[in-house]
Amino acid sequence: MPRRRGDEEDEDLEPEEDQEQAYDEEEEEEEEEEEERGMASRKRRRSNFIDDLAEEDDEEEEEEDDDDDDYGGGGGGRKHRPKRRLGSQFLDIEAQVDSDEDEEEEDAEDDFIVDGGADLPDDDVGRRIHRRPLLPREDEQEDVEALERRIQARYSRSAQPELDDETTDVEQQALLPSVRDPKLWMVKCAIGREREAVVCLMQKYIDKGPELQIRSAVALDHLKNYIYVEADKEAHVKEACKGLRSIFSQKVMLVPIREMTDVLSVESKAIDLSRDTWVRMKIGTYKGDLAKVVDVDNVRQRVTVKLIPRIDLQALANKLEGREVVKKKAFVPPPRFMNVDEARELHIRVERRRDPMTGDYFENIGGMLFKDGFLYKTVSMKSISSQNIKPTFDELEKFRQPGENGDSDMASLSTLFANRKKGHFLKGDAVIVVKGDLKNLKGWVEKVEEENVHIRPEMKDLPATLAVNEKELCKYFEPGNHVKVVSGTQEGATGMVVKVEQHVLIILSDTTKEHIRVFADDVVESSEVTSGVTRIGDYELHDLVLLDNLSFGVVIRVESEAFQVLKGVPDRPEIALVKLREIKCKIDKKISVQDRYKNTVSAKDVVRIIEGPCKGKQGPVEHIYRGVLFIYDRHHLEHAGFICAKAHCCIIVGGSRANGDRNGDSYSRLANLKTPPRIPQSPKRFSRGGPPIDSGGRHRGGRGHDGLVGTTVKIRLGPYKGYRGRVIEVKGATVRVELESQMKVVTVDRNSISDNVVVSTPYRDAPRYGIGSETPMHPSRTPLHPYMTPMRDPGATPIHDGMRTPMRDRAWNPYTPMSPPRDNWEDGNPGSWGTSPQYQAGSPPSRAYEAPTPGSGWANTPGGNYSEAGTPRDSSSAYANAPSPYLPSTPGGQPMTPNSVSYLPGTPGGQPMTPGTGGLDAMSPVIGGDSEGPYFVPDILVNVRRSGEESVVGIVREVLPDGSCRVVLGSSGNGDTITALPNEMEIVGPRKNDKIKIMAGVLRGATGKLIGVDGSDGIVKVDDTLDVKILDLVLLAKLAQP
Amino acid sequence: MFFHIVLERNMQLHPRHFGRNLRENLVSKLMKDVEGTCSGRHGFVVAITGIENIGKGLIRDGTGFVTFPVKYQCVVFRPFKGEILEAVVTMVNKMGFFAEAGPVQIFVSNHLIPDDMEFQIGDMPNYTTSDGSVKIQKDSEVRLKIIGTRVDATEIFCIGTIKDDFLGVINDPSAG
Repeated sequence: MPRRRGDEEDEDLEPEEDQEQAYDEEEEEEEEEEEERGMASRKRRRSNFIDDLAEEDDEEEEEEDDDDDDYGGGGGGRKHRPKRRLGSQFLDIEAQVDSDEDEEEEDAEDDFIVDGGADLPDDDVGRRIHRRPLLPREDEQEDVEALERRIQARYSRSAQPELDDETTDVEQQALLPSVRDPKLWMVKCAIGREREAVVCLMQKYIDKGPELQIRSAVALDHLKNYIYVEADKEAHVKEACKGLRSIFSQKVMLVPIREMTDVLSVESKAIDLSRDTWVRMKIGTYKGDLAKVVDVDNVRQRVTVKLIPRIDLQALANKLEGREVVKKKAFVPPPRFMNVDEARELHIRVERRRDPMTGDYFENIGGMLFKDGFLYKTVSMKSISSQNIKPTFDELEKFRQPGENGDSDMASLSTLFANRKKGHFLKGDAVIVVKGDLKNLKGWVEKVEEENVHIRPEMKDLPATLAVNEKELCKYFEPGNHVKVVSGTQEGATGMVVKVEQHVLIILSDTTKEHIRVFADDVVESSEVTSGVTRIGDYELHDLVLLDNLSFGVVIRVESEAFQVLKGVPDRPEIALVKLREIKCKIDKKISVQDRYKNTVSAKDVVRIIEGPCKGKQGPVEHIYRGVLFIYDRHHLEHAGFICAKAHCCIIVGGSRANGDRNGDSYSRLANLKTPPRIPQSPKRFSRGGPPIDSGGRHRGGRGHDGLVGTTVKIRLGPYKGYRGRVIEVKGATVRVELESQMKVVTVDRNSISDNVVVSTPYRDAPRYGIGSETPMHPSRTPLHPYMTPMRDPGATPIHDGMRTPMRDRAWNPYTPMSPPRDNWEDGNPGSWGTSPQYQAGSPPSRAYEAPTPGSGWANTPGGNYSEAGTPRDSSSAYANAPSPYLPSTPGGQPMTPNSVSYLPGTPGGQPMTPGTGGLDAMSPVIGGDSEGPYFVPDILVNVRRSGEESVVGIVREVLPDGSCRVVLGSSGNGDTITALPNEMEIVGPRKNDKIKIMAGVLRGATGKLIGVDGSDGIVKVDDTLDVKILDLVLLAKLAQP
Repeated sequence: MFFHIVLERNMQLHPRHFGRNLRENLVSKLMKDVEGTCSGRHGFVVAITGIENIGKGLIRDGTGFVTFPVKYQCVVFRPFKGEILEAVVTMVNKMGFFAEAGPVQIFVSNHLIPDDMEFQIGDMPNYTTSDGSVKIQKDSEVRLKIIGTRVDATEIFCIGTIKDDFLGVINDPSAG
């Protein structure tokens, strides 16, 4: 830009050389130019003395003249341009229009509006004015007359703009367009060609001259699709636009006089830049940093700001000593207050100077000014943003550090207040006046108008209401108020106000019991108790979650995008910050474990830790998983009160609630004590795979059937089909059942009962059986168990959930003591009940089944119900009616087990096996029999979990006829090959977008992609057919990556 | 503050409790169920002092449970804003200390502890005045004023202050 260059030259010359000389030179230069320019420039010069808008006609002529000069001569215009530019600094506003258009023609990079405004000449002049006083000496050396002459000469030229600066409002008003002035028309043009359209108009004007009766044309950068044309009549506009392709002149809209000024007014960004405003840096090292304005130079458009320096002293020292500085661009030093002593230690020269203007002392280091550790930096107004600055609390705190006092707070408040949302104050809010005469007056908001808030003052003698400017008010809270944070980083948190420090509140958070500092402005009074966000996705605060790497933990804090999880590592608290996607699933099941003295501990029992770092802590057990207890101790302030401890490091305190002693059963507790030490889990697991006890007549021999006694069964066949009852006695192939609905004991064939009604099928299968009587039950189930499958423990195959425990759970008769001493049955049939509930770590989450099942409520079946802690699965009662005849009590039942035979024949409902499809049997021979176990298919990912070992991910390579699988360990299939029993494997549940393999159903073996999950159903796109199917998630396994 | 009031509750009784001791069973169950609980309106139920009236039982279909409306007198404890309480300090940390007055937990923030008391970390964290004459540590008894309460379904949590006249330590175990 030639003109710019001219300015810079001036600038460069002035400070270094003698001022006077510089000016003289400048003058000479200018004069020369002017001479060259002849008539036109003289006219222009004259125009400087003319009130720019008042004599419009004149100016227009001028304008035309200009144009003639410049363009009339054809190509000559271009040659002259650089010089003309120089002179154009002194053009008046009107005349400048063409120069701008000109510029645009040449190079459109400049902001049209800014150039179009009058600021450049003003600026130039202003700068000169400003510089004068900086050089006071100059005057002394000259005689006054010479000075006068010089000033005369100089200022006569710029007098006009100078006056402009000081125009009063009235004068400004006079400049506004009136009815007699030409009007502004808005004309549609092609999008993106606004400038082009205007240039075309200009060219047309040049070509046609006065024939074209429009006055001006303007394109605004921010307005697409339209240009403005100034003309007296619409017809003129249309005429002018005729023939221009980029302009659509069919519709020409008149801009109302009122709005005309708005069209061309330039938004001045610097308007509210004043001292003590908070701003942010836009560029450079300090980009994004908060800064405080300490001085504003409106004339030079420069601002002095106070920043927390980001200076690498070492690098600075190197630089100053002339050593090679390694340029590390990526590294931005952290903000830190400048420590002068430190700097001196590095042999950086620190000068202490007094600023001549303010009288303050600054440390000068390498040309940078520091004071109180802050960096004072003078930057261009353009390099800071002052709009919508919301300093965070921390930032403000930092700024306060060295400076302390409260006064500056008030100033910073004003910025904060400027960012208030509309409707900040509501009727009834308690407020306090923070500024002005009424400072510290408290009151209540009565009415809110635009800017003013009417408050009812607390003091008696004052008028009923006072109108106070919104900016002078601040919300007021008292210690003890319960509040909710509605904006800022702590948004959503609630707590009680502990202390009020002016506009800053200290709140004791409800959940974390920690102090939070917030602005009073960000808070509203609320009785709501939340911890802020308490859930993301499916996971909530205090949930037990399984993480990606198979570790687990309790969510102790929910942050905006992540959870803080207290990991299930006993002995030392381990906190992990996990993202939503890193969480595999929620673990939501009722498991019970044994404490040090072999008492059963289940969730909600109060335990005391007797070993380890948290020794002595005590509290209710919130979660149990893999022998680890998560205990909530409200006195424990860390980790949201959660403590993680091994079960055997704890002792139960008082009775186990879950054991039902709430109901007054003292003997259940007793039973606990009597409980013989349990056999470790794993052996049981195996036994699960063994001959299922359930319906199989053959295996019922010996103690085996004792297990059936007392269980609630359902009769599947014969005249009593559909009846439920309690088994009283087992005699060979028949059982005697006491019917629930009739006071009667009937004898039925062993094969025609489904003895594990309690356990029944997994809920998801149920509906498919379509057995009428059950149906009503099912709906309730599904919602209850949304999480079942995924959370199971490894080793438990998803499909089992329902059927594991043949019975007993107290859930369905909550008030019954579940307590027949458990050893009864345990001792009685250890073998056959190998899968007894206690051992099922993986048993599905129990959802308390609240409504007592009719009929069963009072059945204190001795053998059956008491499995208290042992059977965490309260929910199973829900299944009580489930029609699954074949569902053995063998959850892990291995295929091929003979027992399947036993019931298969007789079972009406019985083709099942594979839920959902009767026909499946044929398809899944492997699974034969009743095993409800997972229908492992090759190429799926499984977690192999063997007793006493960590679970390992593996890929099923081959399914052996006996149901066990050859599994290659390692998720990529490069590990050892082992043979695993079905009950040692757990299918890795697929997640959205995973490739899956369907394990059961007509589509068994098919692969596909899980495109969505809806509750317990997965939406699957089948690879072969590209059909989209909705399948139960349990039937889906994650496909190993080839 | 303690109140002696009459409350009503529907008790469900299992049929096995029916018989001669039905009333006793009912009352003992009521005590188990109610004592120690907390309601936002009435506060903690401290003790049942008597039964006013037991209404007619209603057999619930299907379960055999019987629902009795029971009116009982009980002592309740409900803290109020502004109330002055005496409490035992249960825990001291840098943010303040927790104290308990019966079932009510009260937190006194360090902002609400007189400024001349400083937190001393150590085996027995405490707040001590500069001259060491007053010390607040675990098991100290303090008199405090409740300035805010938050009532949950299961507990009442209060914020208290000892920054006021006549508040503070009333019995220091270490001194004795």
